[in-house]
Amino acid sequence: MKLFRRLILRPLRQDRTRTALSLVSIALGVAVVIAIELAGDAATGSFQSSLTSLVGKVDFEITANGGVDETYFAKLAALPIKARFSPVIEQPVVIPGHGSTTLYGIDVVAAATEYRQSDSGGGDLESMAVVSEDLASRLGLSKGSSIELRGQNRTRSFRIQSIADDKNTSWVGIDIAAAQQLLDHYGRLDRIEVFLGPHQDMDEARRAIRSAVPASWEVGTPGARSEENRRMLRAFRWNLRILSYISLLVGAFLIYNTIAVSVVRRRTEIGILRAIGVSSGGVLLIFLGEASMLGLVGSILGVALGRGLAAGLLGMISDTVNALFVTSAPGAIALPWTSVAAATLTGTFVAFLSALIPAREAAQVAPAEAMRRAVTEHRSRLRAGRNLSLALVCCFAAVLLCLAGPIDGRPVLGYVATLLAVAAAALIAPSFVTGLAFVLRGVLKRLFGAEGLVAGRSLVASLSRTSVVVTALATAIAMMISVGVMVGSFRETVQVWLNSQLQADIYMRAQAPATAGIYPPMSSQVPDIVARTPGVAYIDVLHALEIRYEGQHATLGGARTDVLRRHRTVRFLSGNADDIFRSLINRDRAIVTEPFADKHHVRVGDVLHLPLGGKAANLTVAGIYYDYSSDRGFILIDETTLLQYLPDQPITNVAAYLAPGADAVKVRHDLAARLADFPLLIAPNEVLRRGAVEVFDRTFTVTYALEAIAILVAMLGAANSLLALVLDRRREIGVIRCLGAAGGQVRRMILAEAGLLGLLAGLLGLALGMALSLVLIYVINKQSFGWTIQFHPPLLLLAGALLLVWAFTVVAGIYPARYAARLEPAETIHEE
Amino acid sequence: MFPIEIREATKIYEGGVEALRGVSLQCAPGTVTAIVGRSGCGKTTLLNLCGAMDFPTAGEVRIAGMETSKLGDRELTSLRRHRIGFVFQFFQLLPALTALENVELPLLLAGAKDSAKTALDRLRWVELAEKAGSLPYQLSGGQMQRVAIARALVHQPSILVADEPTGNLDTASGEVILRLIRRAADEFGAAVVMATHSAEAAAIADVRIRMRDGHIESREP
Repeated sequence: MKLFRRLILRPLRQDRTRTALSLVSIALGVAVVIAIELAGDAATGSFQSSLTSLVGKVDFEITANGGVDETYFAKLAALPIKARFSPVIEQPVVIPGHGSTTLYGIDVVAAATEYRQSDSGGGDLESMAVVSEDLASRLGLSKGSSIELRGQNRTRSFRIQSIADDKNTSWVGIDIAAAQQLLDHYGRLDRIEVFLGPHQDMDEARRAIRSAVPASWEVGTPGARSEENRRMLRAFRWNLRILSYISLLVGAFLIYNTIAVSVVRRRTEIGILRAIGVSSGGVLLIFLGEASMLGLVGSILGVALGRGLAAGLLGMISDTVNALFVTSAPGAIALPWTSVAAATLTGTFVAFLSALIPAREAAQVAPAEAMRRAVTEHRSRLRAGRNLSLALVCCFAAVLLCLAGPIDGRPVLGYVATLLAVAAAALIAPSFVTGLAFVLRGVLKRLFGAEGLVAGRSLVASLSRTSVVVTALATAIAMMISVGVMVGSFRETVQVWLNSQLQADIYMRAQAPATAGIYPPMSSQVPDIVARTPGVAYIDVLHALEIRYEGQHATLGGARTDVLRRHRTVRFLSGNADDIFRSLINRDRAIVTEPFADKHHVRVGDVLHLPLGGKAANLTVAGIYYDYSSDRGFILIDETTLLQYLPDQPITNVAAYLAPGADAVKVRHDLAARLADFPLLIAPNEVLRRGAVEVFDRTFTVTYALEAIAILVAMLGAANSLLALVLDRRREIGVIRCLGAAGGQVRRMILAEAGLLGLLAGLLGLALGMALSLVLIYVINKQSFGWTIQFHPPLLLLAGALLLVWAFTVVAGIYPARYAARLEPAETIHEE
Repeated sequence: MFPIEIREATKIYEGGVEALRGVSLQCAPGTVTAIVGRSGCGKTTLLNLCGAMDFPTAGEVRIAGMETSKLGDRELTSLRRHRIGFVFQFFQLLPALTALENVELPLLLAGAKDSAKTALDRLRWVELAEKAGSLPYQLSGGQMQRVAIARALVHQPSILVADEPTGNLDTASGEVILRLIRRAADEFGAAVVMATHSAEAAAIADVRIRMRDGHIESREP
């Protein structure tokens, strides 16, 4: 313990600034990792129906594409099993003046009397409502007060009978009959929930239920649904997770550097320790102990920081999940001890691993050699050739891995390829630093005189450390560049797609939050009213519904494909659009989105066997089209075909095309007046486009936040490393002062080094970032989500970002430069 | 006016260690002054005062006629840049710069013109022009010290401060270095002040000062 305090803790305490910078680097790295994990869990972990708090735990759920025919309810109730069946309607509903919420239509009597014995009491069941505590507190509702709900054709008031203990989600529950009436949702249910009685065998119950319902229906457990949703989010979460590990990787480079510098600075100490009998293993332990201490303390700080950061990220991740994948209310952020332990261990282990190489070097070098820098640097230069060959091997392997397909639907090999690319950059870094410094040497001397000459040469003289700092910074910059190029390209692709997709002048849908998988129906009167409005030439309608295909969520839409054909709103991967659209009309043929085709390995000509409304539709795939609205996948068929299978399927969207010369603003106002009785959102084309781009930008906010943290870690690292370089060259700086350098010249020298470091890292990061962006766009993104993104690097933005990072690197050099300028030559010149 | 004039200089470090006690010294142009004595006797402190790298606690140190303790950082920098050259025991060449660049550095720092040509001339003077492009680690100890001497003299200083210039060299190399130091005084007219343990080094000096416990014990002649 005494040795631990003297040999590990004391040096860390003595070098406070650098210890603090290293701790913050590790803490930030760990914080990002744990924050993404916790926020991801909270954002995606709440798929359990909010109804649980009202009706108790459900054993089975019976669902069907297009809804469950309620006539089967009686058949199920007559089954000779101990079970209660509860019909459920789950739809968005408008609360006039307060936006919308989720409406649950349930069998109130059964739910309240049989299972919960709640205080629902007597009274008129059809006018009773239960609201969640979240909604009650938002609207200031209390027991006995009333709430107004607006369906597509009518508005009704309900008396609040009780408030359910659910602080996280907003919902209102009313009797199933009242819900059907309010929503015009007669004859069909969204699902039937099954509650088994005591001692009822689950398998027996499932077999009995299966025998009573059409084969195309699904009988599953709520747990399976949650699992399925989590599976759907797997790629999204994996990508975030990998992104979050970049900060830790950058932190690892910096720990490596900290320990390497520590080894060099304590060379005399190593010599003395070896001379008094400390074994090479002992020396190894000292430095690994130092790194582990940094890792442990940094990780503990990181966990605390991460918990706070998770709260900030939760909203962003939740928005993305809802916009792109599946409706889910964010749950509370938990901090299980397993996560704390995992994060602490990861941080400590990363620090330990990062220190392994410099610590081993310290242990292996003979005391007499005592880690003289010239020797280390000379070795480092000798290794440059071998490293270049290794880098070449890494690049080659990365290319091969990129050509391979996904593993279990995940771009695992793509991730490995990115790691190999980073490794290649790390191996190239020493030669890159030497080469560029050589090329620039004349320029630097001419432009900056002695300061430029010394700055350029010093970076090469400290090659082993300079190249690590350059790699760390370059990795962070590469991440920024690659994600920037990917997002920029994606954004441009989406904008081009939106321009071709959104050809109508005015769009209408029922009022509800725009979340994936929710398609609130609108009144059947709406299309006629729109079509009759002066100035409207013709309309298109869409009947969209969430379906399950091969056990995964997807969207099925029925549209007037002839209108789509005329406006060429869809771009196909191959084939003639005109012919494809003509082939759809009134036939069992469909077109599918690229993500759907990718996910289900569907090609043109394949047949989709789709259970629809108790029947099985066999839809031949006529074409695959580009779509960037969601990665759930979309099957589009002609309206007539859809109505053959689901005759009552309501319309969810209406698009109006205006007659030439019609005044768009006037028509929109006219429409708003005519449709005032219906809770609709009416948006002109440009608003919809703008909204879509805003959703897109919001989706990537979390990515930008992660990038910013990685850059921050790298900046701290740059400051730390520059300070280390200064500390290590104290005597040299003293000599330069003796030779007549003014304090300002020394300051400029270090700032020039910082600038050069930033330039080197920027150039290497740019090259690595461009390579990584190709992997992201064509491998990871394609294999994760199935989207084809056109390569459109946002050059101006990237140039600006690079310049900013470079400026930050110079700023990071200010403290080390001031420190160097204040060094007293008399003190440093005689140091051993 | 002597390039170096020290009157009754006393130096007490933090913690109360008295490194110098009432030391007086004058070094004339073109002379070599050797300071000898055991380790800890105050040689290095005295050299630091001569090189304007440190200041007396009491007494007066005048370098090129200027009292060092009254100078600001800018004046001190200018003094080192134009009037003083340093030679160290461990050569202290910048490892990243070639021999020529090391020699050229003081001129570059001073913003002098034709710095490369002047630096090469000085390298020729120490007979190392052929090593101009070599990095320090490619040179022998003696060669490194010759480069250090060229660097110290490249701006023709009036004072050359040498701290154990042969302390890290073999006899043959040491002799070469001592000849160069002697020539620096003779040809450049520099006032050379040199701390040394070596009798050979002391032998080339015009003035030999023996120090003991922070004061001058004897002076020859």
